[in-house]
Amino acid sequence: MNVIHNAVAIMAPFLLAAIGGLFTELTGMLNIALEGLMLIGAFASVVFASATGSLFLGVALGIISSVLVAYLFAFVSLRLKANIFISGLATNLLASGLTVVLAFKLFGSKGVIHFPGAPVLPLVSVPALERIPILGDLFFGHNILVYLGWICLVLAAVVIYKTPFGLRIRATGHDSSTVESLGLNPQSYQLKAILVSGFTCGAAGSMLTLNLQAFVPNITAGRGWIALVVIYLGNKTPLGILIASFVFGFAISISNYAQGFMEIPADFILAFPYIITVVAMIGYSAVRHYRSQKLAMRRDR
Amino acid sequence: MTITLSVAVLLAIVLIFLLSDDPGRTIYYFFAGPFINRYYLGNLLNSAIPLVFAGLGIAVAFSSSAFNLGGEGQVYAGALVTAAVCLALPDTNGFIGGIAAVLAGVITGAVLAGISGYFKMKWNTDLLISSFLISAAVVLIVNFLITGPLDDPASSLLATPKIAEQYRLLRIFKPSKLNISIVFSIVAAIAVYTFMYHTHRGYEMRICGLNPDFARYGGVNVNTYLVLPMILSGALHGLGGGLAVTGTHYMALKEFTFGVGWNGIAVALIAKNHPLGVIPAALFFAYLDAGAKAAMLHSDVTFEIAAIIQSVIFYLVTAQAIFSFVKYRQRVS
Repeated sequence: MNVIHNAVAIMAPFLLAAIGGLFTELTGMLNIALEGLMLIGAFASVVFASATGSLFLGVALGIISSVLVAYLFAFVSLRLKANIFISGLATNLLASGLTVVLAFKLFGSKGVIHFPGAPVLPLVSVPALERIPILGDLFFGHNILVYLGWICLVLAAVVIYKTPFGLRIRATGHDSSTVESLGLNPQSYQLKAILVSGFTCGAAGSMLTLNLQAFVPNITAGRGWIALVVIYLGNKTPLGILIASFVFGFAISISNYAQGFMEIPADFILAFPYIITVVAMIGYSAVRHYRSQKLAMRRDR
Repeated sequence: MTITLSVAVLLAIVLIFLLSDDPGRTIYYFFAGPFINRYYLGNLLNSAIPLVFAGLGIAVAFSSSAFNLGGEGQVYAGALVTAAVCLALPDTNGFIGGIAAVLAGVITGAVLAGISGYFKMKWNTDLLISSFLISAAVVLIVNFLITGPLDDPASSLLATPKIAEQYRLLRIFKPSKLNISIVFSIVAAIAVYTFMYHTHRGYEMRICGLNPDFARYGGVNVNTYLVLPMILSGALHGLGGGLAVTGTHYMALKEFTFGVGWNGIAVALIAKNHPLGVIPAALFFAYLDAGAKAAMLHSDVTFEIAAIIQSVIFYLVTAQAIFSFVKYRQRVS
């Protein structure tokens, strides 16, 4: 049952990034900057954690760095009215350039940088309960950031569906003139949504490097993009993205497991999430297409 | 555009002052480095060639509202297939075999982009994401092929063996790698311009980009123009990759086209999707890269500062409000 246990650990960064992306998606923005924001969080958190010796400060400063870059992204997209897709690309490019340049300046290396002194992410371990089949794997023995992801998911569901703020977030994406008619500024909700995505992506990124106690250039390796697809496959609901990110985590966990006894080249393992994502996307769009066709036919009759 | 480019230059200077211990030397090599000898200058021009092809590919796609985000994989796969065909035909006539090899690269690019276009037409699958994902997977599979089955065991490089002599394009500015494919890139820009602005199909394609509803009302088959621009775009990317093999490297190296696909997007945007504007825009981007490389070789900064500068260009290039924002600031202060 290690496969399930690992799946939960692997899905956690997707889940966190997708929660933030859900907010921007609901305000009607395609946020492709998730990847870059995660990378900033990944770099900053391990550097600060190792410099301060404090796990909390590392994660917090990692998240703050990611939120700051998210603010830059929001400023250019909303205030300077740049095409959000292009400014998202720019954010990803900035993140990959900036992290390497800073790593080279600070540590003199453009390769893998180890931080042996960085604090370890503590595991929430309950030995008695971990032995319960499946449930034990799902809920116990993970690092604390995995639980942060779940807390964020519940919070997100409450905020989106049960608060005026969430209602306005959804209204902004649905029909921004409704928000304007209330005397509110839809752009300010878009800004807040981008900042939320900076927060969750920063946390998602910090999980990657703090787990390894090392920074690897472009450590995010497409996870931000997968998070974006998770949002689509999850039908833009919190429960949906939970299920979709578990499916991804499970698929990757199985392919890691298969590598143990089959000789699969490492590049294929890395390509696997992209392939399964694109197949899932095409399948999803086909289902959507035929469903809407059926509805149209029913209406005609 | 002037604001964007001056901000880029200014940022380069600021970054160098922050990062370098000998800023004067670094700035000299960053800005003048590409011109100090024939070798650097020729390589600067040469590295603009794939950017022209990628920029043209993106311009074709963007001006007809198709989004091709998979340039990276299309260039890389086109290059690999060209190299593979050259290696499979070691004794064919240089002209025939060379054309066959580059054509195979072109088809590879066209198919990869065409898949996304086809599913967009059939089921309305998001073009942006599907083209990106296919490309991301393709890059990894090509990595595997170059380092695995097609790797040259005699060489320590992660690369295929060198292609036969008769396929190598003429070098025109020795000792640099500049070769006659620069002529092909200019011809391609003119051809794309003629197609888009002086043919019926090109006109219909642009109308679909400007206003699909209007195009549909006017009797244009809008669905065709989801697939065609993607195929053209992928073909141009594949061509750029193929010529990089036969003109510049004579082999396919691991990740040797890295970043061309992304920079092609910036090039097309700076050129405002105009095929002829792609040439100066590509030269500007190649200049930034060449300057960063010269500064890395002769001074103490790393090459990736070019990526930071390029990202700022990306930020500003579509910022419509930048003029009004600057004016607003002036009024306030």
